[in-house]
Amino acid sequence: MSYQWRFDVAVDNLPVLLEGLGHTLLLTALAMAIGLVVGLALALMRLSGWRALALPAYLLVETFRTTPLLVQIIWVYSVLPLTVGLTLSPFFSGLVALGLNVAAFMSEIYRAGITSVSATQTHAALALGMTRSQVLRRIVLPQALLRMVPPMAATWVSLFKDTSVLAVIGVAEMMTQARIIASDTYRPLEIYTLVAVVYFVITYPQSLGVDRLFARNRVKE
Amino acid sequence: MDYWRFDTVLPHLGYLLAGVSMTIQVSLAAVTLAVAVGLVVAMLRLSSIAWVRAAAGLYVDIWRSTPTLAQLLWVFYALPILTGVPLSVFVAGTITLGCHYGAYLAEIFRAGILALPTGQAQAARALGMTEPQVLRRIVLPQAVTIMLPTIASQFISLFKESALVSMISLEELMWHAQSLAGFTMRSVEVFTTTALIYMALTYPQTLLVNRLHRRALAAQAGTARP
Repeated sequence: MSYQWRFDVAVDNLPVLLEGLGHTLLLTALAMAIGLVVGLALALMRLSGWRALALPAYLLVETFRTTPLLVQIIWVYSVLPLTVGLTLSPFFSGLVALGLNVAAFMSEIYRAGITSVSATQTHAALALGMTRSQVLRRIVLPQALLRMVPPMAATWVSLFKDTSVLAVIGVAEMMTQARIIASDTYRPLEIYTLVAVVYFVITYPQSLGVDRLFARNRVKE
Repeated sequence: MDYWRFDTVLPHLGYLLAGVSMTIQVSLAAVTLAVAVGLVVAMLRLSSIAWVRAAAGLYVDIWRSTPTLAQLLWVFYALPILTGVPLSVFVAGTITLGCHYGAYLAEIFRAGILALPTGQAQAARALGMTEPQVLRRIVLPQAVTIMLPTIASQFISLFKESALVSMISLEELMWHAQSLAGFTMRSVEVFTTTALIYMALTYPQTLLVNRLHRRALAAQAGTARP
């Protein structure tokens, strides 16, 4: 028996999926914002030279980098409310977990970018009579930022895909909606194919953009 | 009620560790598949036939531009409808992780092969080495050293992402953790212990990757010298 494709079922449910897509995009943007700010703080703590600041930042970053995102999401969702007494909606606990996860990876990008500018350039600029802040503003940051942009853009693309893991705690993003529709309609083939196509259509142009950024933003010393 | 009572979890540690064994099994199976897929796709992407190159490129783009979870649910729920062959959760998990990371590995292999310095191979040929000798003695040792840290960090990602397979009920570490948390009503201790187990397994791997990375940088500095 050949399979009867019923793409009308998928098309009928497209509005629900797209509503989920709205949440997916919102979560990506908010988690990225958290990641950019918290990640910078963590990077500066690690570069500060003070152990009391560097050590906690190091531990936090390594914790988030060495455990699965799924574990982090479930941990924040089920452990935080009990121990801290802070009850968060699935949306917000998912956002906290994703945001901190991104922050950990972001802090490494900041740190690598800043330390990648060779120390001889700083020495030379200081020898020319620039102040510390001038060296940072005129010499180090312009080059470091150029190097940070491509990996940050790549992180954004991964983050967009990773929001799907929030389906495990039932945040109403696109993957959750797809699972609900698939089990309601008994049409997993059509629904999961459609949701994959939607993810692809949004992610692929961004991946191309990231590849171009990597090719263009190459700093030569 | 008091939390952080790890003595409630300790008697069940064996149950969690039984999950670790399955996590390692599915990761190893997926790594093997990923390397095979990666090598084949990398070769196809370097083919001289245009449509073969395009097909291999499309494969890489599809697996890299969709979430792993979407792929997993598709392979487990949708693929059997198309093929008529039901898949066990283990096989579905292995196929998904293997094909997903195979796409990333293909790109790494391709870049590694393209980056080989042609001057050295030419010099070795001029010294009278045969083509397999050039490959074995000159090209591969350097290419592997340079690619290894990137490949190894993909393996770490795969190992961590294997937790997703708990969502189709493969009884690995995360699945055991969720069932233990339900059984003991001790989610704080169970999930914290689970996170610590993952850290204990992943952290040594990241230290190894850092070392491989330093070695690769040293090797690259060596080849760059005139």
